Amino acid sequence: MKLFRNPDVMWREEEEYKDQAMAGLEKGEDIEDVGTSVLFSGGTMMSLNILGTEIWKLCDGRTLDEIVRALVEIFDVQPEVLREDAAGFISELKEKGYIYEG
Amino acid sequence: MKDNFLPSAPLTINWAVTNRCNFKCSHCYSRSDPSEELSFEDLSECIRQAAEAGVLSINFGGGEPLLRRDLLAIARFASGLGMRVSMNSNGYLLDRDMVFRLREHGFTKVGISIDSHLPEVHDNFRGIRGSHERAVKALAFLKEAGIETSLSTVICRINHTDITALVRFALESRVRQLNFHNFKCSGLGYSNKDTLDLSSEEWREFYREALALKEQTSDLEISLDDPIIALLGKHNNTSMVKGSICGKLSLNIKTNGEITPCGFIPVVIGNITKDNLKVLWKSSPVLEKMRHKTPTGKCASCGSYEDCLGGCSARALALTGDMNNPDPHCWRNES
Repeated sequence: MKLFRNPDVMWREEEEYKDQAMAGLEKGEDIEDVGTSVLFSGGTMMSLNILGTEIWKLCDGRTLDEIVRALVEIFDVQPEVLREDAAGFISELKEKGYIYEG
Repeated sequence: MKDNFLPSAPLTINWAVTNRCNFKCSHCYSRSDPSEELSFEDLSECIRQAAEAGVLSINFGGGEPLLRRDLLAIARFASGLGMRVSMNSNGYLLDRDMVFRLREHGFTKVGISIDSHLPEVHDNFRGIRGSHERAVKALAFLKEAGIETSLSTVICRINHTDITALVRFALESRVRQLNFHNFKCSGLGYSNKDTLDLSSEEWREFYREALALKEQTSDLEISLDDPIIALLGKHNNTSMVKGSICGKLSLNIKTNGEITPCGFIPVVIGNITKDNLKVLWKSSPVLEKMRHKTPTGKCASCGSYEDCLGGCSARALALTGDMNNPDPHCWRNES
């Protein structure tokens, strides 16, 4: 099933925070709480960490398998772990109506 | 993510493009504002700066934005920079031709102000006979043009007990969203507060009814933009922002470029014609204070403070002189 971002959801990457997250990643720091993008819909904001941001960006018509394959290229994490994280996160976004299947 | 995440720039801006208006509303916060309007060229440069800072959307307001002859050109410029463009209007000047032009120039959403399902009540409140009929027609034209619509109602003495009828009216009008705006004591609203504002007990009753209607209504999004509903156990679990979003996600820009935290807080923190928006966003002491309010008075012992953060800063400032004070609409007794 292909996954798409809901075009009604506005979003942007937060470049300064992204730099901070990338630097932390290089040093092996815990960067889970560093928001590198924001989604904005209906007056509500959601901030995504670097993994969430990359998953969000990859929801451009790719399947979950394709998204995981792309994430493996970016993050030094086991594919099965990435798959579990991505599936859980995508399910959360679908529930909020931020992502839809097509 | 952490709850205290602050985006690097505002996500959205409420931008007044004119203070001129064809209506005579007794709660108006802008008609008495003598600020001049920026030229199209200056305004375009300011909009460009906002886009470069990362602002995602602009909601044009005023005044009645349609009284600005270059509104369509302004909207086209902003949408051409990738921003989502919307506006609030009284609807009086929106005919079929104009709504299609709005769409062509990038408007994706238009909010129409209607304060009562009863035409005579709305017309009296807005000061113009026939305004209700024109607003209803505007909603239909917008729907026809495929522009998302919302209905904006200022809750005050004239309508606070009629909200079931208002919800029915919104459903019949097939709008996507009904925004219940709480009455603010700004501009003429301050002068007329004794006849328009509700008591804190009346606010509690209104919110109880509105929240019940919100739960019962499935085909309409009912929006209540008031942090004090946290007192009724209603937390916005989907939002990372507690309290008001003003100064945390959004800013207000006046017709002359002056920046305020919201349209109802007359505290100027800078001017977009001269100041860097991102720098102001991060360094303004006023915004800093709004983002880090501390509980005072009855808020200090309130279990809902963590969610409501003292309620609406604009009301606290207007009626007590300090935005950090408890919201005067709050019905909780001192303990």
